Amino acid sequence: MEIKFERVEGTSFQYRVALLVFGGFALVGLLSTLWVMKYGIGRTGMTNRVPWGLQIVMAVYYIGLSAGSLVISGLYGVFGKLEYKPFARIAVYLATLFLIAGLLSILTDQGRLDRVFVQPFVHFNLQSMFSINPILYNGHILICLIYLWALFTERKRTTTVVATLAFGWAFCVHSGTGAIFGFGARVLYESPLLPASFVAAAMASGTALMIVMIVGLFRATNRPLDDELICWLGRFLAICVLVVFYFLFVENAYRFYVVELREAAHYFLFGGFHSLLFWIGLIFFGLVVPMCILFNPRTGKSIPWIVLASSLVIFGVLCERYVIVVPGLTNPPDLFPGMEIVHDPALVEGYATYSISTQEVLQALGVLGVVGFLFLLGLKYLELLPTEARIHPD
Amino acid sequence: MAGGSGALALRLLTTSSAGAPGKDSPLAGKRMGMVIDVGKCQPDCDKCIKACQQENNVVQAAAHKNHELAVHWIRKVTIRKKIETDEKAKKAEAAQKSVILVCNHCDNPPCAQVCPVRATFKREDGIVLVDHHRCIGCRYCMIACPYNARYFNFEDVEVHEEDLNKDRPKRSHGVAESCTLCAHRLDAVDQDGNPSPRVPACVEACENGALAVGDMNDKTSTVYELLRDYAVKRLKEDLGTEPKVHYIGL
Repeated sequence: MEIKFERVEGTSFQYRVALLVFGGFALVGLLSTLWVMKYGIGRTGMTNRVPWGLQIVMAVYYIGLSAGSLVISGLYGVFGKLEYKPFARIAVYLATLFLIAGLLSILTDQGRLDRVFVQPFVHFNLQSMFSINPILYNGHILICLIYLWALFTERKRTTTVVATLAFGWAFCVHSGTGAIFGFGARVLYESPLLPASFVAAAMASGTALMIVMIVGLFRATNRPLDDELICWLGRFLAICVLVVFYFLFVENAYRFYVVELREAAHYFLFGGFHSLLFWIGLIFFGLVVPMCILFNPRTGKSIPWIVLASSLVIFGVLCERYVIVVPGLTNPPDLFPGMEIVHDPALVEGYATYSISTQEVLQALGVLGVVGFLFLLGLKYLELLPTEARIHPD
Repeated sequence: MAGGSGALALRLLTTSSAGAPGKDSPLAGKRMGMVIDVGKCQPDCDKCIKACQQENNVVQAAAHKNHELAVHWIRKVTIRKKIETDEKAKKAEAAQKSVILVCNHCDNPPCAQVCPVRATFKREDGIVLVDHHRCIGCRYCMIACPYNARYFNFEDVEVHEEDLNKDRPKRSHGVAESCTLCAHRLDAVDQDGNPSPRVPACVEACENGALAVGDMNDKTSTVYELLRDYAVKRLKEDLGTEPKVHYIGL
């Protein structure tokens, strides 16, 4: 059966308010970025001890959220589940926007924004994950655009080929993002598991976002949606969450087992604000509660419960990104094993602190505003939404 | 003279950053390193730090509104054995050591490996430098440096006119940097263009002879002799970065 897609009218009060809100966010973000550029990124919460902050957290988070496209394209492009094709346009369009959001977050975090558009292309360094990742991100955006074109023009063969390519490429994208940290020399970064766990977390947050978006959009526009489609995505999400949990367990068990890493592991798990985010934000609300909901035979089939679980996973993975980026930097390198630094007139020794500044929050909101604004425009000017989504494979 | 020195430095910088070692390069065959004698470093002395700041126009920490944003090409820490009991604490108190920390100018510099624009590079003589006109300020080098030896110019902080060394550039905002081993001094030439190296500012300022910089391959250099005659330690040797700052008595 032919699937019909259509635009939304975009004349309702709610649509206009949403457009204004996201546009406002984008404007505030732009002003905040201009302010930071004028006065230097020293006005943010970052310091010489913690040189990466919320912008990098948000960059890797946004990149992860783009994985919804990976899941949908994998489902019907690679595994042939055609009933998910109605969601492909939304998934790929959202993925494109979130990849752009990731790049925007990285761009606005650079000390010399004026050089970013020239130097990386002229003096390329294949040994740097920061050189490799932009290729992966930009390549993924390009693939997504071709993918969208194939979907809009209904080229079945091309769609299948590009969906498969996008599926494989996305794995590289999320592994590469994890490698920025995993291949680093910091005690709480260095881990060959990190690229793989980034893929798992990206798939979890991407799937969760797709569930929330699909249910939200279909309900808001009164479109028929078979519950079973969402229930299946919910079960898939449960597996992703379980895999994320497993990776976290292995990672932390290893750190606790190896004597030289034990102090760092202790700091990570019980060392301050980030530990609260880890236990409460990530483990409890982000993983355990969603798993309880999704694996429960009753709530696992209830759309409101699945949406709640998905929202919690989206929040949990944000916490996960924070507890990867920040504690890895606040935990100082042990320059003198067996010794302790008792006086340092230059730097505050020991564990560093990082406080998120208002400017960084506004910049992050600004990037989200750009995504929301462009998504709403996409709904109005592109045929993204199917008239219905039912289990009726061709 | 400053112009001649600048021209030579520029030539060296260009050849090195392009990664093409020249046979006739005055840096070829050299391996610059540093030796720090911890026992000779006086706890209350900070002449080397002040000399470095003055020489390189590095702004003093006091000038920064936020202390954590200050840049320290060279800094000094006091260390002692980890204390487990009060009794041991007294002994440890007596055995405190003052340790100078600078960029280790690693043979395998992780900062250069991760730089996405190759702004950080290792010269033929092993000194690790940053091209300030190329750095995009991503701060990945700071993440990669296992010694916390890299700093970022978070903001423009003006040096007072009377403190400004006009032979050296002002620090540029938005770029990362670290100790250059005063490469401009080591590369200095006289009016006829012949090499006329000067020791780094910190070494010149140290009255106790705790610091030495030189070519570790040159058998006539102080550094060579110190490395030959004393047992030395390097920081985090297990990482394989091959740091070239050596400590006697650590």
